[in-house]
Amino acid sequence: MIFSTLEHILTHISFSVVLILISIHLIALFLVNEIVDLYDSSNKGMTITFFCLTGLLITRWVFSGHLPFSDLYESLIFMSWNFSIFYMVPCLKKYKNNYLNKIITPSIIFTQGFATSGILTKMHQFVILVPALQSHWLMMHVSTMILGYATLLCGSLLSVAILVITFRELIQIIDINKNLHFLNESFSFAEIKYMNKRSNFLQKTSFFSSSRNYYRYQFTQQLDRWGYRIISLGFIFLTIGIISGAVWANEAWGSYWNWDPKETWAFITWTIFAIYLHTRKNKKLGDVNSSVVASMGFLIIWICYLGINLLGIGLHSYGSFTSN
Amino acid sequence: MKSFTFTPINSSNSCFPKTHFPRVPIFHLFSKIKPFSYNTHVSRRAHTLPFTINCKLKSSQDIKNKGNKSVSQKIVLSEASPPPLTENDGANGGSENVPVSSKKKGGMAKKLSRKILQILSNLPLAIGEMFAVAALMALGTLIDQGEAPDFYFQKYPEDHPVFGFFTWRWILALGFDHMFSSPIFLGVLALLGASLMACTYTNQLPLIKTSRRWTFLHSPEAIRKQEFSESLPRASIQDVGTVLMGAGYEVFLKGPCLYAFKGLAGRLAPVGVHIALLLIMAGGTLSAAGSFKGSVTVPQGLNFVVGDVLGPTGFLSFPTEAFNTEIHVNRFYMDYYDSGEVSQFHTDLSILDMDGKEVMRKTISVNDPLRYDGITIYQTDWSISALQILKDNEGPYNLAMAPLKINGDKKLFGTFLPVGDINSSDVKGISMLARDLQSIVLYDMEGKFVGVRRPNSKLPININGTEIVIVDAIGSSGLDLKTDPGVPLVYAGFGALMLTTCISFLSHSQVWALQDGTTAIIGGKTNRAKLEFSEEMNRLLDKIPEIVESSLSKQVDSISG
Repeated sequence: MIFSTLEHILTHISFSVVLILISIHLIALFLVNEIVDLYDSSNKGMTITFFCLTGLLITRWVFSGHLPFSDLYESLIFMSWNFSIFYMVPCLKKYKNNYLNKIITPSIIFTQGFATSGILTKMHQFVILVPALQSHWLMMHVSTMILGYATLLCGSLLSVAILVITFRELIQIIDINKNLHFLNESFSFAEIKYMNKRSNFLQKTSFFSSSRNYYRYQFTQQLDRWGYRIISLGFIFLTIGIISGAVWANEAWGSYWNWDPKETWAFITWTIFAIYLHTRKNKKLGDVNSSVVASMGFLIIWICYLGINLLGIGLHSYGSFTSN
Repeated sequence: MKSFTFTPINSSNSCFPKTHFPRVPIFHLFSKIKPFSYNTHVSRRAHTLPFTINCKLKSSQDIKNKGNKSVSQKIVLSEASPPPLTENDGANGGSENVPVSSKKKGGMAKKLSRKILQILSNLPLAIGEMFAVAALMALGTLIDQGEAPDFYFQKYPEDHPVFGFFTWRWILALGFDHMFSSPIFLGVLALLGASLMACTYTNQLPLIKTSRRWTFLHSPEAIRKQEFSESLPRASIQDVGTVLMGAGYEVFLKGPCLYAFKGLAGRLAPVGVHIALLLIMAGGTLSAAGSFKGSVTVPQGLNFVVGDVLGPTGFLSFPTEAFNTEIHVNRFYMDYYDSGEVSQFHTDLSILDMDGKEVMRKTISVNDPLRYDGITIYQTDWSISALQILKDNEGPYNLAMAPLKINGDKKLFGTFLPVGDINSSDVKGISMLARDLQSIVLYDMEGKFVGVRRPNSKLPININGTEIVIVDAIGSSGLDLKTDPGVPLVYAGFGALMLTTCISFLSHSQVWALQDGTTAIIGGKTNRAKLEFSEEMNRLLDKIPEIVESSLSKQVDSISG
C-alpha cells in the first residue's frame, strides 16, 4: 500500500514536471528574450525529475527485492531515467547544448507517458523472476542494453532533425505546407516540430539570405557532430549489452547465440549503427546519407525494443505487453 | 643536435614560469622514455635526430587520460624496436584469405589476388553486405523458422502471394525456412568476413604504420589549412608545448616546429575491433562445425552416459574420452516463491568415471551449469516422472505420471490409480493431477474433486473407501549437454571487442605549431570529437602566456643556440 502510493506520487511528480518543462521549452521558442531565466528553471526541473525517477526505481527495487529491469514497464522507467541523466550531464559539464535538451525532454515524456499509460497497467504489479532471469547478468545485460537504446535514440533523433532541416530546404521550394504536413504526419514527434521552428527562428534572426544558409550549415554540422559522438557512445553500450547477453545465454541456455528474434533484432540494430559509423568514414557518402542510416536505426530500435515484445515470441517474451 | 627537456609542470596551477623554461639535467627513469628517431616528412635530412623527451605530468587531466596514454606508449615502444609486432599480425591476418593462390602462379595470380583484395576492401561494398545481412536477419524473424513444408504451403499460398510475388516456392527454394543456416545467409556472412579481412589487411594495418610516424609541418600555410587554426602573437611554442602537455598530449619539438598528439589509441582501436570480430566469426564457425549437443530427461535416481546423449553438429565434431563418463542424478528439487510459483530448480549431479567412482559432484540450477572436461551440463527443464503412494497401507507403489500439458510455464501432469476389477472393460479409478512437486490434486471415481495433499505430509485421504497416502513425487530433471570448442575463441573475441570499441571512442587529436618570429601559428585536427576539440583548443590557448619583449629574445636565443 505504502509502495503504491509512493509510486503514484513519484510518477505523477516526474510526469508533470516534464510536462511543465516542455511547455517552458515551447514558450522559450516564442519569447526568445526571456530565454535565460527559463533555461535555468528547466535545469532545476530536470533535476527534480531525475530524483523522482531515481526514487521510483529504488522503491521498486526495495519492495520487489530484485533489480527493476524485469519487465517492459520497469525498463521504460529506467529508460526515461537514462534520458534524464543525459539531460543533466551536459549541464554539469557546462556545455551549452540546448538542442540536445530539446530532444531529450519530449523523449522522456513519451517513454514516461507510455509507461504510465493504460496499456501497461497490468504490469505495474511486480512480477516474479522466472528461473532464467535470476542471475547477476540481468543487471549488466539489461542496464547496458537500455542505456544503449536510450543513447542511440538521442543520437538518431539528432540525425532525424538533420534530415528534416535538409529536406525542408529542398522541399520548401516546392511546397511548404505539404512538407510540414508530411513531416508532422510521418514523425509526429514534438521535437521535430521544434526543429522546424528552430530553423524558422534561425531564418527570422538572420537578415541576409547568405548568412541564413551559413547559420543553417553551421547548425546542421553541429547537430551532425553531436549526433556522431552520441551514437558512438551508444554503440559502445549496445556492444557491451549484446556481448553480456551472449555470455549470459551461454550460462543459462547453453548457447551464446540462438537467433532468437530479440537477439537478432539487437544484432540488426548493431549492424545498422555499424553502417552509420562506416558511412561517416567515407566523405563521398556525405552527411545526409549517414543521417538516413541513423534515422533507420531509430525505427529499428523501436522495433527491437517494443515490436518484438509486442509479438511476444522467443526467449525474451517475458517483457511482452500481454503478460500471460 | 640538442636535447630538450620537459619537466613536470602542474597545469592546474595557472601561474606558469613566464617564458623561462626550467631545465632539469637528469630525470627519474621511466620506462616510457625512449630515445627514438623521427621520420620527418618535409625535411630531407636522412639521419635521425635523437631526442629525449620526458613527459611526466601530474595534472588532473593526466590522470584522466591515463588509459589512453598507456596504450600510446606501447606504440612508442614498438617504434623503438625496429621489427614491429604489428607486421606479424598483418601477415597472420592476411595470409588466410589472400596469398594461397599467389604462391602457385607468379605474377598473374598475384595481380588477381590484389584485384580481389581491392574489390573486397571497398567500403560501399562492405556497407552493402552489412545491409544485406541485416535485411536477411529481419526476414528470418518475420518468416517462421523451422516449420514443416506444409506450414509454408498454407501460410504463403500460391494464389495469394505476399507483396504479389512471395510464395512458399521462394521460401523453400532459397532455404528461408531455416534462414540462419541457409547457404544464402551464410554466404553473405562469409563475404562480409572476407571484406573484413581484406579491409583489415589493406587499409587498417598500413594505418598503424603511418600513424606511428610523427610529421612536422614547416610551412605556416599547411598549419593554417587545418580544421582548427590560430595565430598567437607574442607567444612561444615552448609554452604551447607545456600547455598541451598539461592537457595530456604527447609533445615533440624540433627547432621552430612542434607536433603534439593525443588519443592515438582511438585511431588504432578500430583495427582491434575488426580483428575481434574476425575472432568471433572464426569461433562461431568452429562452434557450428565442431560441437556436440543433446538433451535428456532423467528421473531422480537414474544414470545416463554422456556419449549416448550427445550428437555431433558438424563435420569437425570428434568425440573425446570424456564421453564415456556416466552421470548420476542424485536428487531433483524445486524452490518456490511464497505465492507457490516455481522460483528455481536444482539437480544434484554426480559424475562417475569408468570404474563407477565419483569424480565430481555439484548441484546445478538454471544459470549455474556444471562444467567437466569440456562438457557443460545445463539445467533447462523439468517434469514429474512418478508418484509414490501407499494404498490401504500397502506398497509403496510407483505410479508413472504422464504430461497432460507441457507447453508454456504452466505444466500439468496426471496419473490414474484403478480401483476394483482391472480387467473389466469399464475401469474406474482415482485421478491425480499435479502442477509441480508441491501439491497433488485428487479426484474420485466419478471425477469429483476430493482434496489436495502434499507429498511427505503423511496425511491419508479416503476416496471411495480406499485410503491413499502420497509418499513422494519423483521429479525428473531436464538437462542439456554440450561441448563447444568455439567458446574460448568467441569469448576472447568478445573481450577484445568490448575493450577496443571503448578505446575507439577516444578521438585522435593532432596539433602542429610553428614559431614564426614572435608569433606562434597553431593548427590542429581531430578525427572524432570535433566540437570538443575546438573548445578544448580555445581553452588551452587562453592559458598560453604572452611574452614580454626582453625575455623573448632570450628564448629565441636558446632555440637557435
